Amino acid sequence: MTEQIDKALAREYEAGFVSDVESETFVPGLDEDVIRRISAMKNEPEWMLEWRLSAFREWLEMEEPDWALVDYPKIDFQSISYYSAPKSMQDKPKSLDEVDPELLRTYEKLGIPLVEQQMLAGVAVDAVFDSVSVVTTFREKLEEAGVIFCSISEALHKYPDLVRKYIGSVVPKKDNYYAALNCAVFTDGSFVYIPKGTRCPMELSTYFRINEQNTGQFERTLIVADEGSHVSYLEGCTAPQRDENQLHAAVVELVALDNAEIKYSTVQNWYPGDENGKGGIYNFVTKRGICHTNAKISWTQVETGSSVTWKYPSCILKGDNSVGEFYSVALTRGRQQADTGTKMIHLGKNTKSTIISKGISAGRSNNSYRGLVRMNPGAQGARNYTQCDSLLIGDQCGAHTFPYVESRNPSAIVEHEATTSKVSDEQLFLCRQRGLDPEKAVSMIVNGFCKEVFKELPMEFAVEAGKLLEISLEGSVG
Amino acid sequence: MSEWLESAIARAQGINDWLAPKRADALDLLANSQWPTRKTEAWRYTPLRPVERSQAKVLTDEVNLEPIAIADLSAIELVFVNGKFDPSQLAKTLPDGVSIALGRDLDSAKQTDALNAFSTIKPQRHLFGLVNDALAQDVVIVTVAEGVEVAEPIRISSLLSQSAESHTRVQVSLGAGARLTVIEDVQAQGESLNTAFVEYNVAAKAYLEHYRFALQTGTNVAIGGSHFNLHDHAKMHSSIVAFGSDLSRLDTDIIHAGEYADAKLNAMYLLDNKELFDLHATVEHAMANGTTQENVRGIVADRARAVFNGRIHIHRDAQKTSAELNNRNLLMSDKAEINTKPELEIYADDVKCAHGATVAEIDKQALYYLETRGISRSKAQVMLNFGFINELIDLMPNAALAEWVRPIIRERFAQMDVE
Repeated sequence: MTEQIDKALAREYEAGFVSDVESETFVPGLDEDVIRRISAMKNEPEWMLEWRLSAFREWLEMEEPDWALVDYPKIDFQSISYYSAPKSMQDKPKSLDEVDPELLRTYEKLGIPLVEQQMLAGVAVDAVFDSVSVVTTFREKLEEAGVIFCSISEALHKYPDLVRKYIGSVVPKKDNYYAALNCAVFTDGSFVYIPKGTRCPMELSTYFRINEQNTGQFERTLIVADEGSHVSYLEGCTAPQRDENQLHAAVVELVALDNAEIKYSTVQNWYPGDENGKGGIYNFVTKRGICHTNAKISWTQVETGSSVTWKYPSCILKGDNSVGEFYSVALTRGRQQADTGTKMIHLGKNTKSTIISKGISAGRSNNSYRGLVRMNPGAQGARNYTQCDSLLIGDQCGAHTFPYVESRNPSAIVEHEATTSKVSDEQLFLCRQRGLDPEKAVSMIVNGFCKEVFKELPMEFAVEAGKLLEISLEGSVG
Repeated sequence: MSEWLESAIARAQGINDWLAPKRADALDLLANSQWPTRKTEAWRYTPLRPVERSQAKVLTDEVNLEPIAIADLSAIELVFVNGKFDPSQLAKTLPDGVSIALGRDLDSAKQTDALNAFSTIKPQRHLFGLVNDALAQDVVIVTVAEGVEVAEPIRISSLLSQSAESHTRVQVSLGAGARLTVIEDVQAQGESLNTAFVEYNVAAKAYLEHYRFALQTGTNVAIGGSHFNLHDHAKMHSSIVAFGSDLSRLDTDIIHAGEYADAKLNAMYLLDNKELFDLHATVEHAMANGTTQENVRGIVADRARAVFNGRIHIHRDAQKTSAELNNRNLLMSDKAEINTKPELEIYADDVKCAHGATVAEIDKQALYYLETRGISRSKAQVMLNFGFINELIDLMPNAALAEWVRPIIRERFAQMDVE
């Protein structure tokens, strides 16, 4: 056992942290110097620093996007600290007794085991024994299959060529304001490489990557599925996570080479702020994947957290016969605002895309679907089907749909459908007649509404996702 | 800001008439406007180069132009020639309860009413609507008294000679329970530029039947709008038929300002060559129990480009609204392009809203079926295209107009360059 703990502890060192600067937290502010220090801290190769700096210079020239239907005070990028060292054990709560009882109540409802509750709440536990052993066996199994799954800082040292080849290849440095910022200041994230013809033996989850804790607000994920490989990746977890950082600007890049398949599932449940929306997380994420010939990328997301969400997981269907999918459930309540959707860019012949988006608005929230389907002239025989449904709960919320359809190929077929309605009185009546209380009835109806998306989630998430919606809807009915 | 807009503003500053306060408002807004670029959402797919390059000039010479005759249609003709209202073409006696007059000729009480109503329905966001506010030289006010049912349609024609620039403006007001049909039409010769805006105020229980034909093609710039304000239990039925030109842009705004209003809009665009047509249709449900149904269909051939933006906005108080929008497009060539964006923005919960959009090519099976019946491919294509559009023509309440426009559309399909 001690050996395993030692191993786990040693791994942090491998990630490139130098112990004497580990405790340092940067003073707020952003300039080239800060970026040089981040890069130096992580002992990055020279090209990486150059890449960060050029992204930063681009960023300075860019303007913050204002087209999304979200409203938040202007962010002062100079008031953010761009590197904060992991919290020391002394600063953490000593036991679950010190943790917000509201949070614990939610964990309980979700049925999360005690040990995991401690981990999620950031309780100072010397070593969570169960988790460590799980992680270790997990890593051994992956190594056997030749799968690389590590932090991006680690990958920069161990597999610099792979990282250099693919980083920024899907989301270019100056793709958008937040992506450029992420390129300049990202602190960590995950790197996955699945070798040719390999089917990843298990679902990969950030949850089990032990050095996942404190990847910071600028996370970067890069997943490369080599020819004919297959991987399913799980991001986030249903339990609400504590986080001190208000702005999150992550970038996720997926590369599916010929005949490869990537399934990326997200459950996002960050702090949505209080009833007036104060203090919630801003989640400004750029997620995009590129599909080569016969490849497939499938995005599934359940978004219930954050006070402002700005997120459009997209697929570039470059190779012939490639497939892109987007399944989304976005629930907003309180003062939450979500502007989320997808882009499907059809370049190759016979490319196919499916978009199923379910938006649920309650309280005083606003929930928008924003999507783009583009058929380029080369997208011979391409096909898209889009369905966006919105459900309104209460008369103070908003549900919006902004689909862009651009077609330049006559043989391509694009279909878009959207509906908006409230929970039907007839359905409610029927449920209540059967003895269900209004809250249960609504949650059941909402679950049914989201079924098409839930069935795409991996088993681990599917069960919890339903429960999560139920909890999120509490107090919204009536 | 573009040179074109600067010159328009400069010209407008010289005008001093009864509309002065409204023109000043428009000029203030224009002075603070950005010239649209690709980044301007409302003009994302519609470049304004044809406006920037336009050599069209306001012509002052007297020209005699008459609107095309439509068989079996007897209408009250309201004609603008090169932007100037031509009273000689207006019937000497108008039906009881109907008044058509230039704003500047109204008595002071009516003029004040007209001034207060001016540009209150057309939203301020339309850049060229503001240009029209500032530059329209002859503003015509049409009123129909309470309870009056006007049998003859009013036909508003804007006629332009070669290289002419014109800005026409009509304000139509229907009294409570009134009934009226209005036909809007622009007939322009080459190299011309026009902005043509009409605002409609439809009082309680009134009914407006509306047509807008934008059949000019070629080297024209045509930017216009039809804007409707519906009060309690008011109804409207609008049909729009458009071909494209160098730049043809139409904005419709339907505002449900009263409860239980009902709006139907059927629009069709048939584009060929290098034409561009851009339809921005907005519906604002501000009050409860309103219904809206929009059907928009397009056929785009050769190197033409169609842009459609259909926005339905349900405000907080508009409970029990039912709104539907359907946009179907056929792409006929691999150089043609369609950009469509049906939008829903909903702030009330007890509503039923839906929209759909499709882009595809002609149904291959239907084509094959007709070919097996010995019909040539090109002819079969015309038949199918015509059928697709004819479903909406059939919904036109005015038979004379439907009969008039059908052969024009058939002719257009016959000429379309299809593969």
